Amino acid sequence: MLLDLSEEHKEHLAFLPQVDSSVVAEFGRIAVEFLRRGSNPKIYDGAARKLNVSSDTVQHGVEGLTYLLTESSKLMISELDFQDSVFVLGFSEELNKLLLQLYLDNRKEIRTILSELAPDLPSYHSLEWRLDVQLASRSLRQQIKPSVTIKLHLNQNGDHSTQVLQTDPATLVHLVQQLEQALEEMKTNHCRRVVRNIK
Amino acid sequence: MEGSSEPLLDAKAEVANQLLDFQWKLGMAVSSDSCRSLKYPYVAVMLKVGDRSGQVKNKSFEMTIPQFQNFYRQFKEIAAIIETV
Repeated sequence: MLLDLSEEHKEHLAFLPQVDSSVVAEFGRIAVEFLRRGSNPKIYDGAARKLNVSSDTVQHGVEGLTYLLTESSKLMISELDFQDSVFVLGFSEELNKLLLQLYLDNRKEIRTILSELAPDLPSYHSLEWRLDVQLASRSLRQQIKPSVTIKLHLNQNGDHSTQVLQTDPATLVHLVQQLEQALEEMKTNHCRRVVRNIK
Repeated sequence: MEGSSEPLLDAKAEVANQLLDFQWKLGMAVSSDSCRSLKYPYVAVMLKVGDRSGQVKNKSFEMTIPQFQNFYRQFKEIAAIIETV
């Protein structure tokens, strides 16, 4: 599968052959570091001054390189496909080899970082429960009404949230039955077949 | 006091949110995941608050009996002061 590079992207990458291959290697290192920790615009200014170009040019060059690496890693394109995709840019043999090496060296780590970007639903962290008996309310006195209060602790993208829920014991039993039924589904032939195929 | 001569309606208009409903219940926690045998009475309050745009928000909270007694004392004080105004 070949990468489809937009005209704008090709323009940004056109800066790369204008500098030393050691600079391109440095840009590659910066690109991966930005993927790990987030971008730091101050780096662009320093590099721009050293290379005697505008800060924007450096930024576009690094961002273009980052995008090239992330798209390639995302699609997990083969060495050959990467080489063919980069070939259209008309770079030197040496630069093409450097870019391929950057891709191969960082592909695994970039894919790990990209996998963390998947939309994350709140996931279960822990659960606290309490069995209560309601003795009175504004509308009715002298009651004995049991209920279960649950504090559900959830995690989402590193954020912690809690949800407080309350139900009567009958509904709770029903809830537990439904969940047990869902677990039972894992034992059916259909699910077993799917899981075996994924493995 | 400046505002005392103004009609009650104006004072209400200054308040951003209005209390629409105040429900309470008295319960006793008998067991929890951290303690199997409890005898913990509490007061749970459910407030319905509406803002100026008409949106209604539910806010609920619990109080231990000592906390509730403190809560009750505040309202007793407010009621006492209103008598003197």
